[in-house]
Amino acid sequence: MAQRHSVLDRYLGPLNGPHTMGRGVAFWVGFVIVVAVLASFPEYMRRYDIINLSNFLISGFLALSLSLLWGYCGVLSLGQAAFHGIGGYAYGIVALNLFNAHGNTDLAFFAGVAIPVIFAAIIGGIMFFARLRGVYIAILMLVVSLLIGTFMRQTADPSYTIGAAYLGGMNGLRPASVEDPLLPSLIFGWGETVIELDGRRPAFFYFVLGLLVAVYLGLRCLVNSSYGYWLVGCREDPNRTETFGYDVRLIQLGVFCIAAAIAGLSGVLYTAWGTYIHPDGFGVAPNILVVIWVAVGGRKDLGAAIAGAIVLEWVSLRLAAEGEIAFLVLGAILVGVMLIAPNGLGITIGDYIRRGHDRAIAWVRAR
Amino acid sequence: MSAVTEKSTAAGAIVETRALTKIFGGVRAVDGLDFAISDGEIHCIIGPNGAGKSTLFKLFMGIERPTAGTIALDGHDVTRLAPHLRARRGLAIKFQAMQVYQDLTVYQNLFIPLRRHHRPREIPERCAELLAQLQLTDTEERIVGDLSHGQQQWLAIGMSMAVDPKVLLLDEPTAGMSPEETRQTAAIMRQLNESGVTIAVIEHDMAFVRDLDTRTTVLHYGKVFAQGAFADIERDEDVHRIYLGKI
Repeated sequence: MAQRHSVLDRYLGPLNGPHTMGRGVAFWVGFVIVVAVLASFPEYMRRYDIINLSNFLISGFLALSLSLLWGYCGVLSLGQAAFHGIGGYAYGIVALNLFNAHGNTDLAFFAGVAIPVIFAAIIGGIMFFARLRGVYIAILMLVVSLLIGTFMRQTADPSYTIGAAYLGGMNGLRPASVEDPLLPSLIFGWGETVIELDGRRPAFFYFVLGLLVAVYLGLRCLVNSSYGYWLVGCREDPNRTETFGYDVRLIQLGVFCIAAAIAGLSGVLYTAWGTYIHPDGFGVAPNILVVIWVAVGGRKDLGAAIAGAIVLEWVSLRLAAEGEIAFLVLGAILVGVMLIAPNGLGITIGDYIRRGHDRAIAWVRAR
Repeated sequence: MSAVTEKSTAAGAIVETRALTKIFGGVRAVDGLDFAISDGEIHCIIGPNGAGKSTLFKLFMGIERPTAGTIALDGHDVTRLAPHLRARRGLAIKFQAMQVYQDLTVYQNLFIPLRRHHRPREIPERCAELLAQLQLTDTEERIVGDLSHGQQQWLAIGMSMAVDPKVLLLDEPTAGMSPEETRQTAAIMRQLNESGVTIAVIEHDMAFVRDLDTRTTVLHYGKVFAQGAFADIERDEDVHRIYLGKI
């Protein structure tokens, strides 16, 4: 049977399973060390670096969403950044309208996650119940993203206002008038308690890091549960899975909505981080970037996808001063990785570590 | 039509078609077929390539929609039902093409269908039972792509058995198997049938069909050409002319 391998499984059982890399003591110790090191960065890194690192972590959410959808359920979307953008705009529009009245962004935060889910439920319902599959979904989602981007770009006319929010065309979302509030960072409020998380401060970085860890661990539980098996069944052979009595369309729609929620969350955090959101996020490059992060890191593992996003975002930043070369380099990295390690670098390295670990244990036992 | 043809709609039919027709382009793959599988039997379906055998199974399962006619499962019309709803009513299939999850382990392959009717804690035990029945004990952790062809065929049958079906449709379950594996497959099918599962099987291996020695239907151009005990079918000159070859 599928044996549990780690002594930690008694406590970490739901987190461990066949659909994620790492289940032993060494993995979890390494995981805690990585998180601790990241959490210590604000102590000795420049503020500029922490601001950038916050943005890299926000990209990690987007990578997680595509890893879940593509890597686990086999549904490749070339328009995942659309949900990021919708989440960002939803957060901004609700925040601009309610901030003066509420003094916090609680509802805006919720709207930034919920509205992408509603949008995903509508478009996903149409796609999956029409039994669209494979490349058709990938292309359709890219077109949807481009259409939204095209629409948002032509909203420069002042008539494109929603209450206190002016869509602003190419310049992005902004207040409709000078009396309206500026686009706020995250401000959570419960009664008298107010927590402000400014995107330029370490508190925001800690919040994003904590949330990313929580979402990662939550998704680990999800993909290692029975639901994870259904996702993998849909990925491997949807027709066969359907003959076992599973409604593949509902499974795909469900994961599409969960992925939209996570992408929407990344949009919320991005808008709160920079206090701006603009239509460029719906373009071809942002959408393809997400695919590159996930493919290079390893689409079939959540942690590998996050690592791919953070590392490649760092590479992009380092190359940003060289102009458009960054995208060219990322493309070359993708081609190279696909040739050398088609499952992604993270998964390939993880496999080598696991084999080395197994050999070492066998060697010790033989002695 | 052959002289040995019986009345095609048997009493106590668990699967029954009426005037079932499927047209691909101008080709009538299944042509006004009235056909029944009796509850509790093993029913072999044979016939030349292009006779409409696999199309018939796809129509049963809902993978293909009929051009005309109806399909009833256990007395209920399922003609318009989606495949997963037919599966929930007790229909399971092993397709002609190998349909196992190649990159997953044997345990994972069985977990997915087993989870449909079992709680997670019950699955290891049920999985072990199935693997013993399929002679695949101790393969749980092996990647399916590393198994032999025969083992993969058995696993594919086991995955269909795992949903506890009333009716199991097997399309060429012994394709590519050695004679010994073929005999073992027949034994597995008999054992399964004795546990109450109705089985319909498409086969080209006449030794296998002879070994099963059950009611057999010969399909030809999408119609029932002959039907009866295999011994009678095998003696029929018309069946030899269109399919089995000269006596």
